[in-house]
Amino acid sequence: MNAPIIDPLQGDFPEVIEEYLEHGVIKCVAFNHRGSLLAAGCADGGCVIWDFETRGIAKEIRDNDCSAAITSVSWSKYGHRLLVSAADKSLTLWDVSTGEKIARTILQQTPLQARLNPGLSSPSLCLACPLSSAPMIVDFDIDCTTLLPVAVPEMPDVLAPPQRSKCPESNPPFSPAAACFNKCGDLVYIGNSKGEILIVDYKSVRVLALVPVSGAAPVKNIVFSRNGQYLLTNSHDRTIRIYENLLPAKNVLRSLEDLGKNIDGLDGVEKMKTVGSKCLTLFREFQDSVTKMHWKAPCFSGDGEWVVGGSACKGEHKIYIWDRAGHLVKILEGPKEALIDLAWHPVHPIIVSVSLAGLVYIWAKDYTENWSAFAPDFKELEENEEYVEREDEFDLLPETEKVKVLDVNEDEEVDIETVEKDAFSDSDMSVEELRYLPAEPIPDTNDQLDNLVESIKLIEGQISASPASEEAGQNGHHASSPQGEEMGETRGKRKRKPSEKAMELQAEKAKPLKGSGRTVRAKGRAGVDQETDDSINGDDDDDDAYY
Amino acid sequence: MAEEVPATASFTPYVHSQTLTSHIRAVSSVKFSSDGRLLASASADKTIRTYTINIENDPIAEPVREFTGHENGISDVAFSSDARFIVSASDDKTLKLWDVETGSLIKTLIGHTNYAFCVNFNPQSNMIVSGSFDETVRIWDVTTGKCLKVLPAHSDPVTAVDFNRDGSLIVSSSYDGLCRIWDSGTGHCVKTLIDDENPPVSFVRFSPNGKFILVGTLDNTLRLWNIASAKFLKTYTGHVNAQYCISSAFSVTNGKRIVSGSEDNCVYMWELNSRKLLQKLEGHTETVMNVACHPTENLIASGSLDKSVRIWTQKKE
Repeated sequence: MNAPIIDPLQGDFPEVIEEYLEHGVIKCVAFNHRGSLLAAGCADGGCVIWDFETRGIAKEIRDNDCSAAITSVSWSKYGHRLLVSAADKSLTLWDVSTGEKIARTILQQTPLQARLNPGLSSPSLCLACPLSSAPMIVDFDIDCTTLLPVAVPEMPDVLAPPQRSKCPESNPPFSPAAACFNKCGDLVYIGNSKGEILIVDYKSVRVLALVPVSGAAPVKNIVFSRNGQYLLTNSHDRTIRIYENLLPAKNVLRSLEDLGKNIDGLDGVEKMKTVGSKCLTLFREFQDSVTKMHWKAPCFSGDGEWVVGGSACKGEHKIYIWDRAGHLVKILEGPKEALIDLAWHPVHPIIVSVSLAGLVYIWAKDYTENWSAFAPDFKELEENEEYVEREDEFDLLPETEKVKVLDVNEDEEVDIETVEKDAFSDSDMSVEELRYLPAEPIPDTNDQLDNLVESIKLIEGQISASPASEEAGQNGHHASSPQGEEMGETRGKRKRKPSEKAMELQAEKAKPLKGSGRTVRAKGRAGVDQETDDSINGDDDDDDAYY
Repeated sequence: MAEEVPATASFTPYVHSQTLTSHIRAVSSVKFSSDGRLLASASADKTIRTYTINIENDPIAEPVREFTGHENGISDVAFSSDARFIVSASDDKTLKLWDVETGSLIKTLIGHTNYAFCVNFNPQSNMIVSGSFDETVRIWDVTTGKCLKVLPAHSDPVTAVDFNRDGSLIVSSSYDGLCRIWDSGTGHCVKTLIDDENPPVSFVRFSPNGKFILVGTLDNTLRLWNIASAKFLKTYTGHVNAQYCISSAFSVTNGKRIVSGSEDNCVYMWELNSRKLLQKLEGHTETVMNVACHPTENLIASGSLDKSVRIWTQKKE
């Protein structure tokens, strides 16, 4: 809605660290659908959800059963549920608004990554990728785990043996794989250790298509862009590849079936490959030819225009940003701590990166003041321009010529109620999205309030207030106004007068005094000989000393 | 009691329904909660009062609670979206956050260095925006009470602040004649609306869809500006506004209208598109400082310097 009047800030990329968030040692982060909430998993097993607009903590989720480090967090599509996977092999599903556990299951191995099905509004189905076995679908409702195939079986149309129990009889071979859902959650795209992308229908546990990745190196990450049009793979050969998704957004399964039927004369792997070639085409490859580094946590920007990848070198916090055409546009360098997770805000040009020390850094655009926003007839010039006067610029014209033609048609209909459809809402608006958690103000305690009121009023007096309030302070010496105010204002005036040397003297006087640091400093500056250690709260003696 | 200006045949005039005299000094602000069940009024007598609104009852509004704690008169009050909290801006330079149910003070927001004049919640109700005589606009976090941003908004007292419907923009107006639009996330100025003449702006608010702003200036004029084109589209005149910061409102429950107070003791109502004056509601004995329209019912509340709050409803045929 604001796109027409806000400058094209969207679609750009961040440049500097704006601030950082801290809450224990953070291991992984995830934005919700709109980017209004940021969920982070900690090393002590708890999760924290930040309100990204105020950068304050909105909710803390603590599981008493789990104290192992969190390996990944994932939001449901409308933000009602949060899936948390931890190092103690557990997967827990939480309800965000109540903060209560919905379900919990223990797997065979620690899941490194777990993703909720993005197609359902209240999903209880998720995809988990453990370290050393095939990715699996975990259904919380029926409490069952289904392993997904990581290789195409040789015989055509033979279903991969469905492993419906938690303890499969034959363990699948050690083949780490990465996997992700497609945009509507019908298919799972698996990147296996042979360097192939398998498109799998998880309901029937069948591989529908196969796309070989050039280089045939094991695939470490596989991620879709938000609009589902592009797919990104991060391979062991230090290359990030972008594929374009040729399948339609809806009815994907049927299109795949159709594709499969139309191919005659091919069986097994060949058939899969042919179908696969109709699903994905290689678009671009990114690598750092100079340092040949491994990449970590690559992902797309919210609009799919930019690709970001973190460098996996230890001791280095570098974030590389490419545009989709393949050009490296920026390298962001952070503090000297390794990067462990990365996320791009779905809407704004903001990147959030997690360092090994557990801090969450927020990268944003470096804002240069747009002066023409402050005065519409200002025009910003890049260089000095020679101003050439018009011939009649300074002529005295009769009044009539100066009347502005009113070109406003006041009879036009004005619509104050219809709202345009939000660009970021997907077509299905039947479910209400959880965009934000209601704010619970923390009540002021009584002493907190008194101290706060007094000390901050003093501070305000010292911090250079705008001239108007200074004048108001001088003019409006109301006899009835509280002591604190007047002290603040007079101190505000006095602060400007003493020279540096005088300030030093005053500071020295302040040293032997007890009390809160701020009030002490304030007293010192006013240059009052303090014999009493009384705090500032309502002390008549203090007042007299100032006047 | 209401004088009718003949207008379209379908217009049912509003009539006076109730007078509430709980305050002992001038009423500075009246607001309805977004669910329409409560009305709040703030006054120079340092208190805020809430009333329950029940359209079936007679009287419609019943006083329910009084909020005391401010050390000086109050200029503005606002409800949170879930009507659990109200925030008030006072001449004691603070904003106070109250619990509506219990009437207790939850938080005091300190930071302004001069009278806090206007205040509003954002639709998510996790942020509060306030404007003050210290020429700044401040954005506060509701949970912690911390001041998140201080916007160097104007060069004269800030008279009104408002959020748009998704909370992404803030509009502020001031005696310096400017209306400025700010991005609430970053605190950067997005646009400044100014005309050739710049009379002091006494009031501003967003339209329900956030595309237009209603601007009241101290030259007896109300204008509807289109933000994107930075041009005004409608002008409403006939009332008197040269001295006080009189608020106005959109009435959308029964045809699109603009309602405003006036210094000639009446409440004015114009039709939005035709700009025709539909009705002048008489009854107050002093300047009508503020008006509020009920979100769902055809109900208008007005507060005045005569210390009373009056409720006006549409006459039942």
